[in-house]
Amino acid sequence: MIPVQVVLAASGLLFAVGLFGILTRRNFILLLISVEIVMNSAILNFVAFSSYASGPPLGAVTGQAIAVVLVGLAATEVAVGLAIVLALNRLRGSIDVAKAMQLRF
Amino acid sequence: MRDLHLRLPQGVPVLGGPTVNLETATFILLAAAAVAAGILALLTPEIVHTIIWIGALFVVLGLIYFLLAAPFLGVLQLAVYAGAVTILFLFAVMVIKKRIFAREVRSGVGPVPLLLAAAVAGVLVTLAAQVPARTETGGYPVSILSQNLFGLNGAWLLLLGFLMVSALAGSIHLAREMRTARRPKGVPP
Repeated sequence: MIPVQVVLAASGLLFAVGLFGILTRRNFILLLISVEIVMNSAILNFVAFSSYASGPPLGAVTGQAIAVVLVGLAATEVAVGLAIVLALNRLRGSIDVAKAMQLRF
Repeated sequence: MRDLHLRLPQGVPVLGGPTVNLETATFILLAAAAVAAGILALLTPEIVHTIIWIGALFVVLGLIYFLLAAPFLGVLQLAVYAGAVTILFLFAVMVIKKRIFAREVRSGVGPVPLLLAAAVAGVLVTLAAQVPARTETGGYPVSILSQNLFGLNGAWLLLLGFLMVSALAGSIHLAREMRTARRPKGVPP
């Protein structure tokens, strides 16, 4: 039996790695990859709590059900993000997020 | 140490502390590999290597889901993340870069993001250590998951469907915008 604390600690470390990527990388694709790491840490959290949930099975697998929805959500987000990357590259010639300043105030 | 393989299923004390069984040791190894793959993905200078490392991270996370008695999610992770998302990233890099092995310009890692990430990791690990111990109950059949997904949480699935359709429409709109942006002046649409 895997202690739930170990799973949550691993999820927390993955979240910190993703956060580090979001804070430091300026390439749009690397930024998207960092967001994916953060989303994967959240999905791992849902699966962990689902594996350790007590009560009737139909309610206990809710964490896994939400994780399935989150996987679809993340795939959608990547598709839209990469469409934005392509548009940004076509219009600006660069995917550096520091150079895309038109919407900043 | 000699009959470690026989005693591992029951649990072996580590440094006089809590006992670690084979399942936990495997999980710790996989989790360490996942965190290492994530760090390497963000620190490697070539973006194709980043995508290879992120693919490795997704595969390791799929294995972790199998270990946590969520086989359906493990298969989904391998198919959607390790399969589709990784290839989508690779495709985007191939479309954008003239040379796909081009090195990224280093933006420089200052001490503030590093300290902030370390502080968040410290807080989360400390909070995780305070979670009360629970017995693992997992190992439900996939039919239970499907009943939950299409019954109890059907609304979320429906919402995801709407979201995917709107994302598709958004992507098509972005592509059309690109086509009009490239048209030279004076040429009628």
